[in-house]
Amino acid sequence: MSDPSAEAVLGLLTSLRLGDGQFPSGAFAFSGGLETLCADGHFARGDLGAFLMGQLTGRWLPFDRAFVEAAAAAHDDADRLAELDETVDALTVGDLQRRSSQRAGRALLGVHARLGTAGAADYRTRVERDGLPGHQPIVQGAMLAASGLAISQVAACAAYGVLSSLCSAAVRLGKVSHLDAQAALVAVHPALAAALARPAPPLDEAAAFSPLTEIAMMRHDARPSRLFSN
Amino acid sequence: MSVSGKGAARVGIGGPVGCGKTALLERMLPRFGALGVEVAVITNDLVTDEDARRLREKRLIDPARVVAVEAGACPHTVIREDPTLNMEAADALDRRFPMLDLILIESGGDNLASTFSLDLVDYWIFVIDVAGGDDIPRKRGPGVIQCDLLVINKVDLHAQVDVDLARMMAEATQVRDGRPLIGTSCRTGEGIDAVVDAIRREVLFADVLQPGAAEA
Ligand SMILES: Nc1nc2c(ncn2[C@@H]2O[C@H](COP(=O)(O)OP(=O)(O)O)[C@@H](O)[C@H]2O)c(=O)[nH]1
Ligand SMILES: [Mg+2]
Repeated sequence: MSDPSAEAVLGLLTSLRLGDGQFPSGAFAFSGGLETLCADGHFARGDLGAFLMGQLTGRWLPFDRAFVEAAAAAHDDADRLAELDETVDALTVGDLQRRSSQRAGRALLGVHARLGTAGAADYRTRVERDGLPGHQPIVQGAMLAASGLAISQVAACAAYGVLSSLCSAAVRLGKVSHLDAQAALVAVHPALAAALARPAPPLDEAAAFSPLTEIAMMRHDARPSRLFSN
Repeated sequence: MSVSGKGAARVGIGGPVGCGKTALLERMLPRFGALGVEVAVITNDLVTDEDARRLREKRLIDPARVVAVEAGACPHTVIREDPTLNMEAADALDRRFPMLDLILIESGGDNLASTFSLDLVDYWIFVIDVAGGDDIPRKRGPGVIQCDLLVINKVDLHAQVDVDLARMMAEATQVRDGRPLIGTSCRTGEGIDAVVDAIRREVLFADVLQPGAAEA
């Protein structure tokens, strides 16, 4: 194999930077329903790998991925992003789930606006002025692409972000160890890589079905005390 | 000019759980109100919105001006490593209440190492209390040393907890190389005006912008 080009290495470095838990995305305040699943007795130490797999196959791959990639492709077309944003809004049924996705997306957009990522400040103005939702998959896809990642890297980076933030939430909930989290990631990565090697579903077929976590997120809103936003 | 580039000045209030951060807010809010300073508050309770509710229920300010941000079990992360959600909450308050002068951000309560991100605040206060022990300043926690203003609260309790207050203040001044600190009691009200004046002077530039206002 020949030496990698400087361009390829730069792409890898950009992926590492944007996918790093150190990147200030606000994601650590979201558990994606895990806090309530734990409280309701639906999650035990050995379940992390299966839980991650369920989130990938039930939600991220068949739904979020399609919008992440579409937003990446349209990262310099604010009108198209707005359209995609409204579609995600219409297709996200759970109230807390929809609000969480908006909150995480707007926070991420704010960070990129401060960092000066191309298009971020403009889209942020539109979100504030026109009341666009600012959903996470849209902002994520657009900002990762505007930061210089190719579409395949955008998808891997966004998927990794979801897995990593769920692992981190599970560790902070005291349910799994840091080594459990690594083992779970090792277990699901081959399936993720294989799925990403196939094309994303077309937008008009994008649909999510992960009833247990969706119900958990609905129930989360009513919890009198909680550590996480969802 | 604020860290946000525009909008209200942002002031962090950190310190260990139970040192009196919310009590300090409860004491300062009426004082700011009387001085005509427009204030909003962000709380970072560990377990949702206990502090936010306490402030809203007491009606010390318009309840809509109190916002709770969840800390994801990580009170230091939300003010230091990843203050994104707090910055977003502060931006939203600026948009909603364009007349704001000041946004006070109470941390969820953490250890002596917690500091505020310089992207989040223009100025930050670290609160400790005499009941936590007079050796706290000597431990040289980054919070105690680096904050813009150290508040040593619960001075009313010093006799009950066998703390030599004068010595504790002197040691704190020493580890801080003489930078400001104020002893307060949120029980009796002692020192509260001095904290309010420090914020007005250092952050709102009241002495420069409103000459004569210092005597008000
Ligand atoms: N005696 C005394 N008690 C105080 C003082 N300030 C706060 N407290 C009490 O200390 C406890 C914790 O105060 P709180 O404001 O909730 O602390 P926080 O966790 O830092 O926000 C409460 O019971 C307060 O009434 C003070 O100056 N003197
Ligand atoms: Mg408090």
